[in-house]
Amino acid sequence: MLANYFPIFVFIIIGLMMGIVLPTIGYFLGKREPDPEKNSPYECGFEAFEDAHMKFDVRYYLIAILFIIFDLEIAFLFPWAVVFKDIGMFGFVAMMIFLAILVIGFIYEWKKGALEWE
Amino acid sequence: MITFTFYLVALILIFAAISVITVKNPIHAALFLVLAFFSSAAIWLLLQAEFLAITLVLVYVGAVMVLFLFVLMMLDINVAPLREGFVRHFPIAVFVGGVIFVEMIFVLGAWHQAVPPETMTNVPNIELLGEVLYTQYVYPFEIAAVILLVAMIAAMALTMRPHTRAKYQKPEQQVNVRREDCVRLVKMQAETKD
Amino acid sequence: MEALLYLITTILKIVVIVLPILLCVAYLTYAERKIIGYMQVRIGPNRVGPRGWLQPIADTVKMMFKEIIIPTNANRLLFVIAPMLLIGPALAAWAVIPFNAGVVLADINAGLLYILAMTSLSVYGILIAGWASNSKYALLSTLRSAAQIISYELPMGFALVGVLMAAGSLNLGEIILAQEGGILHWYWLPLFPLFVIYFLSGVAETNRAPFDLAEGESEIVAGFHVEYSGMLFAIFFLAEYANMILISALAAIMFLGGWLSPFQGSFLEPVFAWVPGFFWLVAKMSIFLFLYLWFRATFPRYRYDQLMRLGWKVFIPITLVWIVVLGIAILAKLPPWFA
Repeated sequence: MLANYFPIFVFIIIGLMMGIVLPTIGYFLGKREPDPEKNSPYECGFEAFEDAHMKFDVRYYLIAILFIIFDLEIAFLFPWAVVFKDIGMFGFVAMMIFLAILVIGFIYEWKKGALEWE
Repeated sequence: MITFTFYLVALILIFAAISVITVKNPIHAALFLVLAFFSSAAIWLLLQAEFLAITLVLVYVGAVMVLFLFVLMMLDINVAPLREGFVRHFPIAVFVGGVIFVEMIFVLGAWHQAVPPETMTNVPNIELLGEVLYTQYVYPFEIAAVILLVAMIAAMALTMRPHTRAKYQKPEQQVNVRREDCVRLVKMQAETKD
Repeated sequence: MEALLYLITTILKIVVIVLPILLCVAYLTYAERKIIGYMQVRIGPNRVGPRGWLQPIADTVKMMFKEIIIPTNANRLLFVIAPMLLIGPALAAWAVIPFNAGVVLADINAGLLYILAMTSLSVYGILIAGWASNSKYALLSTLRSAAQIISYELPMGFALVGVLMAAGSLNLGEIILAQEGGILHWYWLPLFPLFVIYFLSGVAETNRAPFDLAEGESEIVAGFHVEYSGMLFAIFFLAEYANMILISALAAIMFLGGWLSPFQGSFLEPVFAWVPGFFWLVAKMSIFLFLYLWFRATFPRYRYDQLMRLGWKVFIPITLVWIVVLGIAILAKLPPWFA
């Protein structure tokens, strides 16, 4: 089994290497004429006067948290789907209860307006 | 070869874990935590637990750390105030660290008596896992659903604020607008310019 | 010695996979400009080489000679690492794609799970690029696109669960073999809603029109890579197009039978027996790639609230319902797919 993962490991390394090699080519071939105007962050008509990092709507965090929960749900669904044909009716009912409990939460967030964007 | 890989990955893991608590920039710390997760996934893979290894990457790296980065990037954290309360929090930190240390000793102590897992099966371990998780361990499995439900509701309770002056567009009303509601034709005499 | 030889053959195999992908990316940009051009009654690029055939090469060369600008306020290290984190997973996901019967680099049991894990990593490149640029536009776009990507990853994951239930294996080769028996046996038919949702979520995952809010030329001037130039920018471009091709390949494998011939089981099967499986895979992928371009030429951009509503309130409920329907169909051994 481990032997099958070795090419994947090499592939990831090569993929990351692409991200190093290509900019290196560009670095040596391209010009280098830095200039304060050129190096300043893009702004529309005025100079960038403050740090760009700012606070954001809490709604984005809520989306991220809900994403984690649903992602876990998918992680639970994966092994179930693989063995579904073997565990039959019992497994089906078990998963339906699992999904039903989570759908309650989904309906709750829907009704609460957590999914609304204005 | 496997032993060598293990020690290499373990070294990376320890380095990453130490970096998480020593680097100054919180974003860098989060990225080192990602590296730590990757290394642990590699170690699990060495133990032939392919499903768990990839799920670790999927759930922790792909979801949990994204939330961490989200919060760190968007909260505009100032590094200096983070270091202020060090002396004040130090006793609590020592206490918590001690408790974790004792727990680890118990776990590692019990580990030697455990039967070494059988790794030489040809059945993919996701199938083995699936066959017991939804039948033998169905009760804990459903409890996991309830815990997730609690997490979902708690997240909303913590972050939702009442919408006050939000103005919504209501497509169904927009579509149903008729001319008679909006335009009134008035008959009148033509006026001359005088 | 033997280990070294093995390493070298593995690297060679990877090069054989990666180079055609890069070539495909180059000519996908050409196809995009040509096809959208003709759809809008223009000609598209036609100056470099006959009918503009050398345009992608010219673009690449131009990109190489451009200056790489790193903004003064940027976090230099992360600024350079971000494109790397984007292209790495985008290419590495190809390791488990079967190109023909038995032709796959890494034949692992957890193939689909690996793909899902790799695609879920693409959000890092975007998050880090936007933050490290230290520019308001980049940050706004990062926020938008990160929320978009994670939102659409859910329907995508649920759609994959449907495929798994039907095939009973995480191995992509076995998923293809489970669809044997001609065009009506492929999973696009019993899994039709999941098929549509998978592809549309894929379009949203790759930040393509009509879900390209992260780009938003008119408001946030190209989004998270606004500060990038030269080869660093080229990598973002490369990763985006490589991901498009990947999504097309996955859709073809999971719903259109991968390298299987569409005429299996019909009287036409012997007539087309000489066609290699790889050709069918590429033909099926081309359908999806064409759809990508067609969408871009046709649809106006979604508004953010519409985008979120579509993902959370339409796609996720439909996939959940269809998983239940599928479960019942499989338990009832519905022919011809689940008999």
